[in-house]
Amino acid sequence: MNPRDVNNTTVVTPPHTESEKAGEATPSFATTTPPAPRRREERPLPASVMTPPPPPPPPHFDDYKSIIGQAQIDALRFLAKDLKGKSIKMVNSTAVGGGVAEMLNRLVPLLSELEVPTHWDVITGGNDFFEVTKAFHNALQGSSYELTKAAQEIFLMYNEQNRGRMRFDEELVVIHDPQPVGLIRSRHTSSAKWVWRCHIDLSNPDAKVWEFLRPYVEQFDAAIFSSQSFARQLPIPQYLFYPCIDPLSEKNKDLPDSFVQKVCDEFGIDRKRPIVTQVSRFDRLKDPVGVVQAYKLAKKYVDCQLVLAGGGASDDPEGAAVLQEVKEAAGNDPDIILLDLPPWCALEINAIQRASTIVIQKSLKEGFGLTVTEALWKGKPTIGGAVGGIPNQIIHKLTGVLVHSVEGCAFQIRYLLTHPEFAHRIGVSGREHVKENFLMTTNVKRWLLLFRILSQTSSAIRP
Amino acid sequence: MVAVHNSPVLNPLVRKPSKPFYFNTSEHLLRIGRQKASTLAELLEALRTCPDDSIFQHTFRTLQDHHFIRQGFSNDFAHWILSACNEPILAEQLASVDVREFTAIEGLRGRMVEIVDEFLEKNPRSASHAGHEPFYFCASDIVVLPTAFVANSLSGFLDGINQVSVHSIHHHFIEARLRLHRMSNDFSQWLEEEVGLPAAGDSIEHIDIYTNTMEGVRRQIAGTVEQVLKQNGERA
Repeated sequence: MNPRDVNNTTVVTPPHTESEKAGEATPSFATTTPPAPRRREERPLPASVMTPPPPPPPPHFDDYKSIIGQAQIDALRFLAKDLKGKSIKMVNSTAVGGGVAEMLNRLVPLLSELEVPTHWDVITGGNDFFEVTKAFHNALQGSSYELTKAAQEIFLMYNEQNRGRMRFDEELVVIHDPQPVGLIRSRHTSSAKWVWRCHIDLSNPDAKVWEFLRPYVEQFDAAIFSSQSFARQLPIPQYLFYPCIDPLSEKNKDLPDSFVQKVCDEFGIDRKRPIVTQVSRFDRLKDPVGVVQAYKLAKKYVDCQLVLAGGGASDDPEGAAVLQEVKEAAGNDPDIILLDLPPWCALEINAIQRASTIVIQKSLKEGFGLTVTEALWKGKPTIGGAVGGIPNQIIHKLTGVLVHSVEGCAFQIRYLLTHPEFAHRIGVSGREHVKENFLMTTNVKRWLLLFRILSQTSSAIRP
Repeated sequence: MVAVHNSPVLNPLVRKPSKPFYFNTSEHLLRIGRQKASTLAELLEALRTCPDDSIFQHTFRTLQDHHFIRQGFSNDFAHWILSACNEPILAEQLASVDVREFTAIEGLRGRMVEIVDEFLEKNPRSASHAGHEPFYFCASDIVVLPTAFVANSLSGFLDGINQVSVHSIHHHFIEARLRLHRMSNDFSQWLEEEVGLPAAGDSIEHIDIYTNTMEGVRRQIAGTVEQVLKQNGERA
């Protein structure tokens, strides 16, 4: 997509060619864009973000000590010690891409480092299988779908194939999401405890798909959901595991101020003036147009810049359409900075969040909203739409502020920018809330506790 | 005995404890319950019938989950009634319930039911007004763990207080009364029974948990113990 600016709004977009879309190596910006003179609004992405950086080495367990403290490290080690000799198998449907794989990439080595060997297996299947599971995924989250006999057979056939090739020698088997749920048929082969970790919102599922899957789910020893509101009535215990962020990842680790400044300079963000930011895909459910409207209402009273940093406009026709709508809503305001960033720009997103005075996530519908978690972790006063998992993170006026409308969002921008002490206080509490509930280390603790509870290991209390 | 809050009257006769203080901590796993309430009438009904561990979760346990908030958070019921139902009077009444006045869940449940019941009798139209999100009843599976800290002396006790997690402080200071079934806490009980410091124990018991973070509670406990140690010359 070539940026076609309708006004003076600053738009920073990557160049895109057919070869990029086909997955070929990303060429440098200089070789793909004609060196035509540019207005400010056509500022290109800096060359430093045009190619994916090499992945950093994963952190070790003790690296988290400076974040959660020795006492919590000790508690985790103690929990793990009682499970020594026992192992876990995690099964999901993809090794790369998506939040589940990202989470398992961190969780599995940390559990193993705590001497709870954790194996990660990925189910295989043909395109027909993944077409069915994609349709199931959407149907379970409320989309309409006609469940056919053929779809059921494809689903079960691939689950049986995977069941035939997998061994379940571990003491705890964790099945992630609906795709591998049929593997539960192997539970009779050992005394292992089986847990279904559902990462999706089941509050309003397609009835037929849910009734098809429910008999499998009910055979597990426990189910885990990401929010109370995502769960179903089931005859098995249901636990609440919030999604989490890794405080040592590129997206969340501390950054030197010089790097934050460099990123702001590259993107034309003025750190001397208030910066209001929303980080999210250009997706209507994230309401970027609403954010622009709220900013414009607030701007009548307070000076600020608006940064909308996201992606999805370059490889998704709908994303491109939404970006165009946002540009039209932004009009000729040079203080609105639109960044269409490639997916590997975690460090840059981190820097922009850290440079921000306020972070907004004015979603109209949301899963959990990990961008809110990221903002809270950085101590930023955060305005969130009261949808999905956002109210679990933002306790209104205590760890952030919740809004229900453009007008409410505008008022909170004004209020937070003019009441820095209140903004600071909710920022501090927001970070503590994340530290307590939404960090990777808390997730490790939850798995250890669940394993221990299911194993009915007695707690070792001194007399 | 009259307690002197925030300026403890301390007994200088510190004795060596016959039993050490074992610092434990508790970790919990949140379980999603079967009940939910969309209106105040449904909340009242669920308050009457939900398991004890749900009442515990939304009162005692939630204080631990929100230990970093100095003011404005008391229990989940009050918070929901304010944020989802916009009933500030009832929210304030429920928020004023101090969990430390109860040594058993049944008494706490009774007080909560009484407050909501009285409010709905006076304000019957509020009973069926739907909150903008439901209240989901949860509970916790709890695992108690030892820590590395064992105090054989008052100075060792101070070290433990300063170094254990806030979860350990919550475990001994707030949850303890459900275990002890008395209006006290593990710290005060040990100071009184093992070290002969009833005034220090009493002073600690009166720390206000609703206007302090749990770190603030820790600092006040430590301050009380430090004062005793200074008076006895064990630690400058």
